[in-house]
Amino acid sequence: MSDASAFDPLGLARQWMAQWEKLANEHGTELLARPEAVQAMQAMTSAAVKVQAVSNEATGRMLAAANLPSRADIDALGQRLASIEAALGRIEDRLRSGDATPSRPAVRRTRKPPRPTTA
Amino acid sequence: MASASLLQTAQTQVERAIQRNLKGLGYLGSAAPVLGASPKDTIVSRGPMRLYHYHPLVDEVYRVPVLLVMATTNRGYIFDMVPGQSLVEFLLLRGYDVFMLDWEAPRPEDRALDLKAYVEDFVGGAITEVQRGTGENDVSLVGYCMGGVLSTLWSGLNHDRGPKNLAVFTTPVDFKAMKLFQAWSDPRYFDVDRLVDTLGLAPAEMLLASFDMLRPAGRASANFQLYDNLWNDEYVKGHRMFDRWSNDMLPLAGEYFRETTKLLSWENRLVEGTLKIGGRPVELDKVICPFLHVTAEHDHIVTTEASAPLIELIGSEDKEQVVLKGGHVSLIAGPNAVKRMWPKLDSWLGAKSV
Repeated sequence: MSDASAFDPLGLARQWMAQWEKLANEHGTELLARPEAVQAMQAMTSAAVKVQAVSNEATGRMLAAANLPSRADIDALGQRLASIEAALGRIEDRLRSGDATPSRPAVRRTRKPPRPTTA
Repeated sequence: MASASLLQTAQTQVERAIQRNLKGLGYLGSAAPVLGASPKDTIVSRGPMRLYHYHPLVDEVYRVPVLLVMATTNRGYIFDMVPGQSLVEFLLLRGYDVFMLDWEAPRPEDRALDLKAYVEDFVGGAITEVQRGTGENDVSLVGYCMGGVLSTLWSGLNHDRGPKNLAVFTTPVDFKAMKLFQAWSDPRYFDVDRLVDTLGLAPAEMLLASFDMLRPAGRASANFQLYDNLWNDEYVKGHRMFDRWSNDMLPLAGEYFRETTKLLSWENRLVEGTLKIGGRPVELDKVICPFLHVTAEHDHIVTTEASAPLIELIGSEDKEQVVLKGGHVSLIAGPNAVKRMWPKLDSWLGAKSV
């Protein structure tokens, strides 16, 4: 028995990996929960968001100068399309509810749970 | 005897090493498994909302249909992985009429969708569609993680009209007990308004990184385990399914993300009993339908401290909390779920579905 388990070449690596994972998760989460780590992470996120905001504004101005629609314009178009989509959905629903021929045979809704088996 | 055993072990190890190399090459070149393929009709497709009705697999079903409500950050095929490992298929074979409220990535124009839209328009809208489609007024709600939160919120707002049964899995209610998420969303450092006002949506990459940081060594360990088990087809198949699903995260609509951060995470209003949606109070103490909450013993995302108080908040006399072996995902899918959670759900729900 011990001979067989001792011959597993990945056994040691497996044990080491399990221990490393436990330690890395414990210490890693502890580290990441520290206020200074959170501050650093959120500062990076904030910086990325700021860059995006500046970039959006500059791109918007450029597009306006070139007489092209901005993202906001496309969003507005998207919203109008979404409302049209919703209206189509409602029309489809009405058509479906008015369709008397179901695509599949109706199931009976009379099922009862199996009786509990006694040991 | 010992030497024969040693020889056999050595032979096994050599075979596995060869298989690892051969199958490792195959793994890189093969197609991803097809997931979520149970036959279904898409009943509603509106914004990020998708409502599916699965084709029944038996002639006689329970009177009360079941509506599965998926978490908003992930895709619903976790409920329908592959034949034999699909909760949807399991429920269909056990005689349930199964619907699922699933999500697509919200588009930029969906940024204004808020908590009220998700609870009232999407969960509420899905219930109305199920009622219309089946002709039954009663519907059982079954929610997972944030899907459980949405189901619970809808029930707390609409306790006078249902649901017939409410079952939720790993559903957080005390957000202050989610220590790491609390630390990372500390209002001193995390400007949710700036994020939402600038980007419109909460990016999926940011959400994925947050989940990954809960177990910083998780990915390295998973890759090692994959290499170790490359000889094992079943393991590799399971790894691919879960790996694909866990990486397939969805962005969140900006207002929804802003409100969940402020109202649930920062102000903890759900457990405090002060949450209002659309001006109406969420009254969990008035939810009197049969209630089941299943949590996982080793859940690193929604810890027991975060989910356990829910049972006390629900007003029903017929309520049950079950802690099963497993983690946040293995509770609902995979061999552990097949053995533990699915039979528990069936035995609880069957008698209440006539």
